[in-house]
Amino acid sequence: MKIQVILTGRDYHTAASVPEELVLDEGAHLDEALRQINAALGDSAALPDSCLIAIGNQHVGTVASHPNVELQDAQELVLIAPVAGG
Amino acid sequence: MDQANSSQLRPEELERYARQLGPGVLSQQGQSRLKDATVLVTRVGGMGGPAALMLTMAGVGRVILAHGGEMISPDLNRQVLGSESVLGKPRAEPFADYLKTMNRFVQVEAIDHEPDDDEAAQLAQEVDLIVSCPPTFQERLRLNRAAVKAGIPLIDAAQWGMTGTVIVVSPGDSACLECLYPEAPPFEELFPVVGAISSATGSLAALEAIKILSGTGRSLAGKMFTYDGFQGRSTTVELSRRADCPCCG
Repeated sequence: MKIQVILTGRDYHTAASVPEELVLDEGAHLDEALRQINAALGDSAALPDSCLIAIGNQHVGTVASHPNVELQDAQELVLIAPVAGG
Repeated sequence: MDQANSSQLRPEELERYARQLGPGVLSQQGQSRLKDATVLVTRVGGMGGPAALMLTMAGVGRVILAHGGEMISPDLNRQVLGSESVLGKPRAEPFADYLKTMNRFVQVEAIDHEPDDDEAAQLAQEVDLIVSCPPTFQERLRLNRAAVKAGIPLIDAAQWGMTGTVIVVSPGDSACLECLYPEAPPFEELFPVVGAISSATGSLAALEAIKILSGTGRSLAGKMFTYDGFQGRSTTVELSRRADCPCCG
């Protein structure tokens, strides 16, 4: 199955190294998608623990704390690294 | 705000706000509610400045600015309320003075520091809405706690580089900032930012405030809106409350 990936927020420029579409096995879970994304980003740009995760535009938690939900084909995975600048 | 007790608008105020009264914008009752409202904006830098400007020009009756410290040259890529004449000086007072010149029907006040926990809680009891634009998550979470405790809306505007986010917290109805960030993410002092996204994000925050205070349109409550200018993409995420949130759970 394929899911769409949107990486935004802080360090959005690192999104260039992440595929916009991930190919996962049927029944794959969120952690597998995150593992592939972190592998693409490399250690120096790994997703921060506080990065927000949304699936199908529904917020499900952070990288540090989230349910390892099963993903569905064609879902959109949104990752938003928190920004705070004033 | 009680509609029955809302302030009457004088003819010169109706003239001033003529372009924002009517179908698709504000009703006269909504404009009156704005006049009766008090908003705290902290801080008044790249986003808080334009937010305060838009709130003042829109006719929010009382606008309180809070900002400590002195303005430095790198700040000037994103200030709309000040100029080089403010370099090396505190900004809250001169920014408030500038806002007063923009709308004589609005009361503008300045606080020359960032409110601590107690002051934030006290201010939240005095105002109808908080626009949160500080550079640190600690301050944002402090304002969030104050707003939730007082039961008033909080609009959080944030930025990094060419990206801006707006979150609207409606206490009791939607996720609060602590639902999203159980622990404050790390603070980046010298974050990159382009002033154009600051201004756009601050203006969007002001728009949400105007909508909520006037009872107009549909607010972003419970959502996080992100505009990523670098990638030319916007996203809106529905936020989930945490049942175990120590702030609003």
